Amino acid sequence: MNDRRIGVYMCYCGGNISDYVDVERVRETIANEPGVVVAKTAQSACSDATQQEMIQDIQEQNLDALVVASCSPKLHTFTFRGAARRAGLNPYQYTQVNVREQCSWTHTDDREGATKKAINLIRAGIGRTMLTEPLEPIRIETVPQVLVVGGGIAGLRASLGLADIGLSVLLVEKSPSVGGWVDRWGTMYSHGKNGKQLIAQLVDEAKQRKNIILLTGAELVEKSGSMGNFMVRIRVSGQKEDITANVGAIIIATGFDSYHPGEGEYGYGIDGVVTLPEFKELLDRYDGIPIRDGKQIMDVVYIYCVGSRQDESQENPNLYCSRYCCNAAVHSSILVAEKNPRAHQYHLYRDIRTYGKYELLYDQSLETGSTYLRFGDDEPPVVEKCSDGKVKVTVKDLLTFGEEVEIKADVVVLVTGMVPRRNDELVTLLKLPVGRDRFFNEIHPKLRPVETMVDGVLICGACQGPKNSTETVASALAAATQSASILKKGYVELDPLMASVNPELCDGCGECVAACPYAAIEMEEDQGKKVASVNRAGCKGCGGCVPVCPRDAIDLKGYTDAQIKSMIDGLLKEIV
Amino acid sequence: MDYDTLVVGAGLGGMESSLKLADMGYKVLLVEKKPSVGGTMVLLSKVFPTLDCASCISTPKMAATQHHPNIDVMIYSEVEEIKRDSQGRFKVSINKKSTFVRHDLCTGCQQCEMACNVAVPDQYNFDMVSRRSAHIVYPQAVPKKAVIERQGSSPCLFACPAGLKAHGYVALTRAGKYDEAFNLILEDTPLVGSLGRACFALCEGECTRGSLEGPVSIRRIKRWLADRYYGGHPEPELKDPEERNGKRVAVVGSGPTGLTCAFHLAKAGYKVKIFEAQSTPGGMLTLGIPAYRLPKDVVARDIKNVTALGVEIETGVRVENLAELKSQGFEAVFVAVGLQGPAKMRVPGEDLNGVLYGVDFLRRLNLGETVRLGQRVAVIGGGNAAIDTARSALRLGAREVHVYSLEKENELLATPEEVEAARHEGVQFHHGRGVRQIKGDNGSVCSLVTIAVKSIFDENGRFNPSYIEGTEEEAFLDNIIASIGQGAELNFTAGLSELTGANSRLVVDPETLATPVPGVFAGGDVVTGPSSIVKAAGQGKRAAFFIDRYLRGEALEGAGFDYRLPVVGKEEVIARQHTYTTLAPVPGKELLKEKASDFTEVEQPLTEEEALYSAGRCLDCGVCSQCQQCIATCPAGAIDMGMQDEKVEAEVGSVIVATGFKLFQAEAKPQYGFGKFKNVITGMQMDRLLAPTRPYNAVLRPGDGKVPENIALILCTGSRDQTVGNQLCSRICCMYSLKHSQLIMGALPLADVTVYYIDIRAFGKGYDEFYEQTRGMGANFVKGRVARVEEKENGNLILHYEDIDNGGQIARAEHDMVVLATGLLPNTEYMNLFTGEELQPDEFFYVKETDEDLYPGKTSIDGVFVAGTASGAMDIPDSILHAGAAAAQAAAYVERMRITK
Repeated sequence: MNDRRIGVYMCYCGGNISDYVDVERVRETIANEPGVVVAKTAQSACSDATQQEMIQDIQEQNLDALVVASCSPKLHTFTFRGAARRAGLNPYQYTQVNVREQCSWTHTDDREGATKKAINLIRAGIGRTMLTEPLEPIRIETVPQVLVVGGGIAGLRASLGLADIGLSVLLVEKSPSVGGWVDRWGTMYSHGKNGKQLIAQLVDEAKQRKNIILLTGAELVEKSGSMGNFMVRIRVSGQKEDITANVGAIIIATGFDSYHPGEGEYGYGIDGVVTLPEFKELLDRYDGIPIRDGKQIMDVVYIYCVGSRQDESQENPNLYCSRYCCNAAVHSSILVAEKNPRAHQYHLYRDIRTYGKYELLYDQSLETGSTYLRFGDDEPPVVEKCSDGKVKVTVKDLLTFGEEVEIKADVVVLVTGMVPRRNDELVTLLKLPVGRDRFFNEIHPKLRPVETMVDGVLICGACQGPKNSTETVASALAAATQSASILKKGYVELDPLMASVNPELCDGCGECVAACPYAAIEMEEDQGKKVASVNRAGCKGCGGCVPVCPRDAIDLKGYTDAQIKSMIDGLLKEIV
Repeated sequence: MDYDTLVVGAGLGGMESSLKLADMGYKVLLVEKKPSVGGTMVLLSKVFPTLDCASCISTPKMAATQHHPNIDVMIYSEVEEIKRDSQGRFKVSINKKSTFVRHDLCTGCQQCEMACNVAVPDQYNFDMVSRRSAHIVYPQAVPKKAVIERQGSSPCLFACPAGLKAHGYVALTRAGKYDEAFNLILEDTPLVGSLGRACFALCEGECTRGSLEGPVSIRRIKRWLADRYYGGHPEPELKDPEERNGKRVAVVGSGPTGLTCAFHLAKAGYKVKIFEAQSTPGGMLTLGIPAYRLPKDVVARDIKNVTALGVEIETGVRVENLAELKSQGFEAVFVAVGLQGPAKMRVPGEDLNGVLYGVDFLRRLNLGETVRLGQRVAVIGGGNAAIDTARSALRLGAREVHVYSLEKENELLATPEEVEAARHEGVQFHHGRGVRQIKGDNGSVCSLVTIAVKSIFDENGRFNPSYIEGTEEEAFLDNIIASIGQGAELNFTAGLSELTGANSRLVVDPETLATPVPGVFAGGDVVTGPSSIVKAAGQGKRAAFFIDRYLRGEALEGAGFDYRLPVVGKEEVIARQHTYTTLAPVPGKELLKEKASDFTEVEQPLTEEEALYSAGRCLDCGVCSQCQQCIATCPAGAIDMGMQDEKVEAEVGSVIVATGFKLFQAEAKPQYGFGKFKNVITGMQMDRLLAPTRPYNAVLRPGDGKVPENIALILCTGSRDQTVGNQLCSRICCMYSLKHSQLIMGALPLADVTVYYIDIRAFGKGYDEFYEQTRGMGANFVKGRVARVEEKENGNLILHYEDIDNGGQIARAEHDMVVLATGLLPNTEYMNLFTGEELQPDEFFYVKETDEDLYPGKTSIDGVFVAGTASGAMDIPDSILHAGAAAAQAAAYVERMRITK
């Protein structure tokens, strides 16, 4: 047995843990574990006061390791590592045990079982901690340049934001010109500005910046390295040579696609049934009364939530709300009323989601004569072609108590939502996490909304989820901010929890090279023999190489074989 | 202080902007007006749509903000002005509010909170429970430091001329801490028993309850405390301090002024000797006030509080020469001889036998001399002394006692209670009559001629009575006792002519009580003219303070004797009462006989129950009662009641305004009954009920603690509603109500949840899925606006609403609890931040974003940005993004300014 001096802190998490786990009993049991010098409970271990207490204990009791049994390490590993550091303890001597998610929240009906499980999990944590050794983070000098993928309003605005803070930008756009969706719009809500002009303004500004390089018809084809210093290769159509560059961070701003209704979905395919983007473009063409097929548009029906909030029984349904479309459709109806005050407009909706200040658009649309009819989720409107060239829409209006209403329209606008743009190559290349809604996933919507699980790869705009253009711009700037907060310091520190090869044991078989999903292991010559070598910047510490090594020559720092065994021993110990 | 960016407001947006800028390497000054960073989010239960624990997500950000090397956090501070200087930078003035707790010493142990005796509604639990005046705002506060809420001096405490902490000892009494309460009074005066009886209680006159159903009986509480303590402690616990500073002070006169001064000087380490001309100490306490009002043993016990400290009282010595005292080794002298001589009437016949003077009469009586009176006695005068004289005369056996006063009945200087008691005992009053002449027979009084008063004061406001001729009346009497005032007998000022001023009063600096003669101080009636015991005690305390400074060689000028805060307004106190309970005062109790014949005490004491009840009526006007218990308890010695606000200046390159929102006040929608119906609560209250640090540790309805079974959530309370002047949607209430639904169904599996809505606005990432999940869990959704809510006798609530999905008729539904999903309103405090440039509001009074299309967060002032809900309602993810956008632009602005330089 070694002579470690470990401090263990068991958190109540308000009542999140203590409602289901007998926290005091856990503490009493753990206090008798070998190596445990301090065993305490806390209402909220993460509170500043408890952190101060830990620091005091570490210093006064000469603790050389710390265990906190609280919530997921995803939430607070950095918090308690920070406390350890402030106390002068090496942060990698810290272990977090997740009793909240793994005991109290999973076993709400079994207090005894949850308590016992907590004790064993903490024993495992202590077992690991027993064998921790001080580690130093890997420091990487950062490159003050950012790769921005996607040249829509998000990518353009992020690029300018980065350039403004003193970072260079490589902006890569797949299509021949930048601007994305916004470049297709005329007057936009809620600011009433012209989309094309906004894009022109951004492009103009970007061109004036010396530190922005804009590549159109270009695609990211390769990425290596790690946060702070990635090597990227970009293929530009029509150019023989790929461009390579070093960047400190990558911002993904690949945007969205508009939902494309299936043939026959709400009459799509019938002449006169159009999607919202198509209708917008039509409206933008006319200053006066909009005309379609040579006829003035007098009667318009909008059908909301097309391609959004779909029924679960559908194949690959879009369960989500597309956020921007209520506002956009309501705004379109105001434009129609301006251009043709005599037009009749009917909105067939489920919930009108003109949130916040956009409520004014809704009010204005009502004032300009739009009629709103609500249909039930289970009784969508029926769209049929009429003999007179008009389109007939039949709907049961819940606002008039289920009365069946028939409207003959010149145009039926399907208020189509946003769908994630397919980017399979990019997803594979960057290992981007994709959510259930198939948009890219952030780490945490509140704590780290523009970061992904891949360190140094950020997301912004509608590729993360539906947004309107101002929201997109805000998230683009937030991504610029996040990039700068990584890169402005000049260096980043990476976790040293990574694989290391014992060259004496390694026989150079190369199994590990094949197993590494990050291509972080290479074979190199060492004293005349071929041995595996881990690229410290590339290794993510996943441990995939460890079990494949036939010679047990690879160990994962922070999770060595000896530590894992010690953890298993802790888990298996009897509870008296 | 020089920073790149000032961030105003340390809620979620402010913290996010600060952290990101600090990570980029910019120096940030973050100013928060509350005692903790964290804003609203840390108070929530969980957050939609992930149902993360809100405080678990907030606390790391709060701790990171507090500890970031590039962020200086100023909590409990308000930005008062931001002004651009000629360099294009901003000059910032900040008021660092006094916490009354030194945060460099406070360890956050909460001992002060447990010792504190004032409970006020806890705004961090949205008034569902109370907190103390000394408090740490919530368990996760960062920094975890106590603050003491002091709205100002309580009126009672502010009114007391002796500086007694009335609110403090009332609060201690209420808490059952009787010894502590007594000792709190004893800190300021030794005369606890005397003041408990014979004080005219200016405190009660100022009591906020006084303007409602009647003041708190502060004086009688004090008497009860003194009686209780003296009953258990015939001898004082105070001890002669062993360590003395070796300096001696002489006090001339052992009245309330002299006693109080000697008491304080002795406590400060001086050796004090009191010289008293009469044979017993106590001055007016003993010789002026009749025993039926102030028993002699009470005074004697009060005096023991002084002598226990080693103060020597020598009686029967008249100091003839002050200068001589100095030569006897007294380094300072305090003259508090009072006013011993009677004021004369100056009318014909005043020298007849049978004409007496009140002061002499009472003194002789109190010294035990036999005073013989005839059957019919007149007392001249309208003050309390005249009443004392009259009631004493009755007790000596006079058959008729008549009081003649110049003043009309309602102008009398005597307190109404005294007049009433005298009348009850048989004293007859003749108001508005002056003495014209005393007629004699054989050199003795025979009759009194009085005349009706026209006016007492002349046009210059000077005392100069005029009479209505022809209204003379004659009354046949045996004795006439004049009780119209007192005069000084200054027989010790030989060789010190500069001491004497007009009216034979002593000349002093009214602030320091120093006379023109170095080392000689004077106070009490001999300086102020006839006043009261409590004013006398105040003078004694003041004199001790300045004599101490004088003897320590410190300057007298500019020294702060009185550190009381400005008095708090009564309207403010009354407006603060959410639930006001009318509590009648305990009626006055005097043992009054039709014909009083002895000098036993007339006023009956309060019982313990009455004392507790009376103390319980206190409204805690100033919030902190100054009971001093936190000072006594704090192990770190961190409490500093004299702490002052501090002005801090800083210079910054850019500004981010993150002042957040205000919640819609649900009272403004009276149809829903919030504030009237106990089981109607707001969304924030529901969040508190569900939070890990929840106030009741369970979801209960506040009216009666019943576990609710059928809960209604009314959406759009105060949003999308022209009738309350807010047409906007608040963006968060639909979602937080869905969250409430899920959490309630989790906490109370048997409860029904019904959501009354217009549209369900689940528009963010994962939100609509959350909505469907809530529906799947069994929450009922009713489309229709609720028109009004009624309360049933059992506390249940009837909702009247439009049932759109079922034919649109007006329907009724009964629930046992209603949660109002109150929305957000702008916090307009930002409007006063800037001088010289206008931070423009938008049409709804949020901070205007001038170019939100490409520059979200940019405002009408160059270099000033807005983050989060200060610019409009938004949820947490949107606030975080918005704050990130503001940070990007603030950083860009700072960079641009650097390059231009």
